[in-house]
Amino acid sequence: MKGRREGVGPHAATTIYLVVLAVGAVLLAGFSSRVHPISVGPDLIAVLALAVLAVAYPGVVVGDRVHLAISSIVMLAAQAVVGPAVVALAGALIGPFQGSSWQGRLFNSAQFSIFGCVGGLAFLAAGGTLDPAELAGVTPVVVHLALPMVVADLVQVLANAVLLSGMMRVARGVPVRLHIGLLLRSTGAAAAGYGVIAFILVVLWVPAQLGVVVATAMVLAPLLVAHWAYRQHADELQGQQRVLGVLVAAVEAKAPHLTGHSARVADLSGRMAEHLGLTPQQVADTRIAGMLHDVGQTTLPTREARGLDLTDPASTTVGYPRAGVAILGDLTFLRGALDSIETHRRALADDAAASLPSRIVALADLYDLLTQVGTPGGTVYAPSQARDLIATEHPGPRTEELVRALDVALTRAEELST
Amino acid sequence: MTPLVRVPDRLVSRTVVLLGLVAVCTGLIAAGNLLPTLLATHGHTLLLAVALVAGGELLRIRMPSGRETAPLSSAAALAVVLLGRIAGEPTFALESGLVVIVVSAGLAIAAAVRRARGDVVGTPALAARAVGVWVAAGLARGVGPSDGTLWAAQLSSTTSLALVALGMVVVAAVGLLTELVLVAGIRAERQRTPWVAAVRDEVGEAAPLTLAVVVTGPMVALMAPVLGLLALPVALVPLAMAYSAVRQYASNRETNRQLIGTLSHLTEHGGYTPEHHAERVAALCLRIGRVLGLGDRQLRSLEYAALLHDLGQISLLDPIPDGATVLAAPADQRDIAEEGARIIRQAETLDDVARFVETQTTAYRLVRELGEPVPLESRIIKCANAFDDLSRGTDDPVLVDAAMERIHLGLGYEYDPDVVDALTRVVEDASVGRVDGRSVVAG
Repeated sequence: MKGRREGVGPHAATTIYLVVLAVGAVLLAGFSSRVHPISVGPDLIAVLALAVLAVAYPGVVVGDRVHLAISSIVMLAAQAVVGPAVVALAGALIGPFQGSSWQGRLFNSAQFSIFGCVGGLAFLAAGGTLDPAELAGVTPVVVHLALPMVVADLVQVLANAVLLSGMMRVARGVPVRLHIGLLLRSTGAAAAGYGVIAFILVVLWVPAQLGVVVATAMVLAPLLVAHWAYRQHADELQGQQRVLGVLVAAVEAKAPHLTGHSARVADLSGRMAEHLGLTPQQVADTRIAGMLHDVGQTTLPTREARGLDLTDPASTTVGYPRAGVAILGDLTFLRGALDSIETHRRALADDAAASLPSRIVALADLYDLLTQVGTPGGTVYAPSQARDLIATEHPGPRTEELVRALDVALTRAEELST
Repeated sequence: MTPLVRVPDRLVSRTVVLLGLVAVCTGLIAAGNLLPTLLATHGHTLLLAVALVAGGELLRIRMPSGRETAPLSSAAALAVVLLGRIAGEPTFALESGLVVIVVSAGLAIAAAVRRARGDVVGTPALAARAVGVWVAAGLARGVGPSDGTLWAAQLSSTTSLALVALGMVVVAAVGLLTELVLVAGIRAERQRTPWVAAVRDEVGEAAPLTLAVVVTGPMVALMAPVLGLLALPVALVPLAMAYSAVRQYASNRETNRQLIGTLSHLTEHGGYTPEHHAERVAALCLRIGRVLGLGDRQLRSLEYAALLHDLGQISLLDPIPDGATVLAAPADQRDIAEEGARIIRQAETLDDVARFVETQTTAYRLVRELGEPVPLESRIIKCANAFDDLSRGTDDPVLVDAAMERIHLGLGYEYDPDVVDALTRVVEDASVGRVDGRSVVAG
């Protein structure tokens, strides 16, 4: 399942939401135990052991997504073997291990318990049997096991999305419908895969009579491979960011006076893009454009690169941004950043034609050049002077909007640093 | 000197193809006139099995090293080997030779589709798959008395199913390992690299996926008594998830390779080094590295370091003529290498690459006489870079001979003799150390 299960703020609304969820989880578990009482036996112990396994393999975070949540598979399988009340208990036990703050742990515990429990109730409502050993023939297996598990899977995904989106609404003001849509789009395929794997686990465990240990070992092998591959994937993504850092280091070796400039422009550009409501992908592209906007300078003779006055509007004819695009053009994952890299030097002067990400990078670049890098003569402006200078040289409502975004970005950066 | 016995070209490839043919012929002989009857009784099972083997073969995955593998096809083939009781269908009681026929039919269909598309078929690798299946089927269905084989044990109510499952996993692993070793042999022969290194890399890179593949066949066989033929596609889902994850990772690795390639172009765009110099040096280093038996991980770092070996030139105030560092003063060579390493160290994950770049200028005599710790990778880069600088990146025989002569003059003093020996083999034979991943396919 995807989700940001951390970062729950200490606001009253969040606390109330957490308490309501926790109480709801307890009530739902109580109701479930009346529908199908908990019976202590080997299956219960096996499910709790699987819950421990789910804690040991909490899923791999790649980018902002959690891949391979074994907990979802365990809970789906448990719904068909031990019923919703035990699943609620298992969920409550798994949740606290997936969070660092107490609010995060409490939320995850309640959330896992609730979505597992409603999934289990949906399984029973859809005609699912809790005694799959009795199923004889393919059709009964499909009707009383496979299809109810599909229903439970759907309900579980939906419940997870609603609960998470509720938290995002309360804690961060993100519209519920928007967040539910995002979650369903990003987790749909994985959830279908979890459903099939849980079904295999149950079939091997009970009707095929392999027992929980052998069944789990067989199902787990491909999942461990996927787990390993996602970890490699995450490492490669991290490596990619570091190699981009080497590109910046090459620029700084060529023009040492720009040391730190690219990182600052990337940071400012990203924050401004967030404030101006760009999509997550656009924010990421704008940030990368800010980081790599000067790569073209590596094509200049070293003396020329070290003598450039980038604060001078007259130097907008310098062609290095295009050279930067020529260098980076083959890298498909940078496609969204190329326009801003190519046009940032003329984006403020050519306001009408330039895209918003390009103007963001242009303004962040100019502001940092004026306040941090300075002119070749050594002139460095104070932040207020730099803002006034930018507003005077590039008058208009669009620049004013950008300068406001810049102010917000600077304030946020300051808040974070303190 | 003329060898006493002339080894035929592609002996391993031909032997593997021959073994594959023997496996298929054995199956055909075993089938005799049973084939029409089998088609009538097991029509659905055979159709599904052939379709999954063929489909999986068409969904090959390219691993980070460039090897291609077909895990879904291998898993489907091993499932056919182990299938016994199937709910709603007659028990899949086939001779081991017939199992090979079924799998080979799927592989043949995939090969025909590939040929129609204009893709490389890779017949020896397909034959290796058939041989692997033959071995696994022989072990599962042919070893032991007729009622005491592993295959028969799954039908027995007295044998522990956990033991049967374990036996199935072992048999699947042996079959898959047979295929991997044969494919490694084909690869070693084509690249003229040590077989041991090829086997190590083949098995090493395939290991995680192999783990997933060897349990999928048994999973199908053990679920089929409950799920019927539905077990075949359903059991492939976990493997498909692993396949998807590995594909994403492999694609990301390729992106990182492109990113390093972009870094290597910085000095070319700036006019410091000749066009494609870094790419040529990297390709040459890889070939030399393979001849010297370097593993995949070492080869990757070697390639990255070779691509970035001139990065330090980026901040030179006055470019070196033609970017030929081999002709620059030793102190300048060292400064460039150190500057390059400093820049590369910004990426903490590329520490070994930075080290190879940093020590690439060290003369071999310092290794020999003073025991300086210069990695083999650095010695390879030094030699390959000198060759490309001196031959000016062309294959003009006069320039190539002159470059080799100059390098031989520095043998043992400037350059590592083992590396020069490997370079000589690579320069003399264009096929030595080259990888053509698409023509050698493992499961």
